Amino acid sequence: MHTESDEDLVKRIASGDRLAMKVLFSRHQVRVYRFVLRLVRDETLAEDVISDVFMDLWRQADRFEARASVATWLLAIARNKAYSLLRKRRDAGLDDDFAESIEDEADDPEIVLQKQDKGLAIRACLAKLTLEHREVIDLVYYHETSVEEVARIVGIPENTVKTRLFHARKKLGDVLKAAGIDRGWP
Amino acid sequence: MTDNIATDPKRTELEELLPFYANGRISAGDRARIEKALAGDPELVMRLDIVREDMAETTLLNESLGAPSHRALDRLMDRIEAEPREAPLLTRAKGGLMAWLGGWLSAQPPRRLAYASAAALVLIAIQGVALTGLAVRGTGGSFETASAPGTRPSERYVMLSFAADAKASDIAAFFKRYEASVVDGPRANGFFKVRVGDASLTTAQVDAIAARMKAEGAIISFVAPAP
Repeated sequence: MHTESDEDLVKRIASGDRLAMKVLFSRHQVRVYRFVLRLVRDETLAEDVISDVFMDLWRQADRFEARASVATWLLAIARNKAYSLLRKRRDAGLDDDFAESIEDEADDPEIVLQKQDKGLAIRACLAKLTLEHREVIDLVYYHETSVEEVARIVGIPENTVKTRLFHARKKLGDVLKAAGIDRGWP
Repeated sequence: MTDNIATDPKRTELEELLPFYANGRISAGDRARIEKALAGDPELVMRLDIVREDMAETTLLNESLGAPSHRALDRLMDRIEAEPREAPLLTRAKGGLMAWLGGWLSAQPPRRLAYASAAALVLIAIQGVALTGLAVRGTGGSFETASAPGTRPSERYVMLSFAADAKASDIAAFFKRYEASVVDGPRANGFFKVRVGDASLTTAQVDAIAARMKAEGAIISFVAPAP
């Protein structure tokens, strides 16, 4: 079965093709939603953000340049909108923990460890990372992006991508160790 | 403990590339350099194991987040309808049934999918008992990876068999943990075809899930990604 490329769909969207818009939305909505949800931690807000992301795509499709993939483009827009939303909420006094180490709803790693599930403990510790560390871990481990793509999405130099990810991994190891799981590093 | 890698700039450079080696997004040159280093550096191998473990858990964490509700697409299309465009639209194609269906399927709310998973668990518990019996009787043979009739290519699967002494309750908990469900089996050789996610999962992610399942030796005796 022939599958139309993302780039071809964007060209059709630029000419006002709503069916192409639905197909592209269906193709990318889940990943963009999960990326945003990990940042804003609110399902309703995450849906608002992805709606805005795809509206931007609808409005700017004719300006898309194929230097980056459509997926990278969408994640970059999504990140900007998510951070913008978080800043507004912080300025409005709704969020005072923006970009800080935020407690998640998940069980504490220590409690999870008592339940004897290492995987759950790691996931609980992932939720304990700062926004900055969470996003780079998600982008590389889940969204499977390259150094160049992370640099484009986050807006940082490529060397910073590698060092930031290194520190995120190290921090994850520290949190795990504090929870009683020593993997030999750090 | 002294971090020997941190004191060696060459090893540090390679270590920082391990996540990209693990996710397959690395140049052929860097891949070759890392593989050469891994062959003689047990400490680097240990770091790669940690990366792969964290990658599997990050995947599972993200997969547990579900999908946006059906409202998201409706609201987007409403906004587009209300959006004035400067140039006349060249194409006014209405959404076909398949496009709508594709969008609808991928937009099901997590709660609805959870109900389906709960129903599947009951079936799985029964199948677990039956499969344990098959395994105890020593049914062997190789398995085929051909797609089972009626399965949809828009999903991702693994083929697995359970340990002979796995308890039905552990098997049920296993499926719940991975949000997986049986789509075919048990086959004559005792294998099940199990759905582990939708088409958004890449091959590397399915591999990571299978690797994590494989680590559960008390429950699983064999697991491998399946088409």
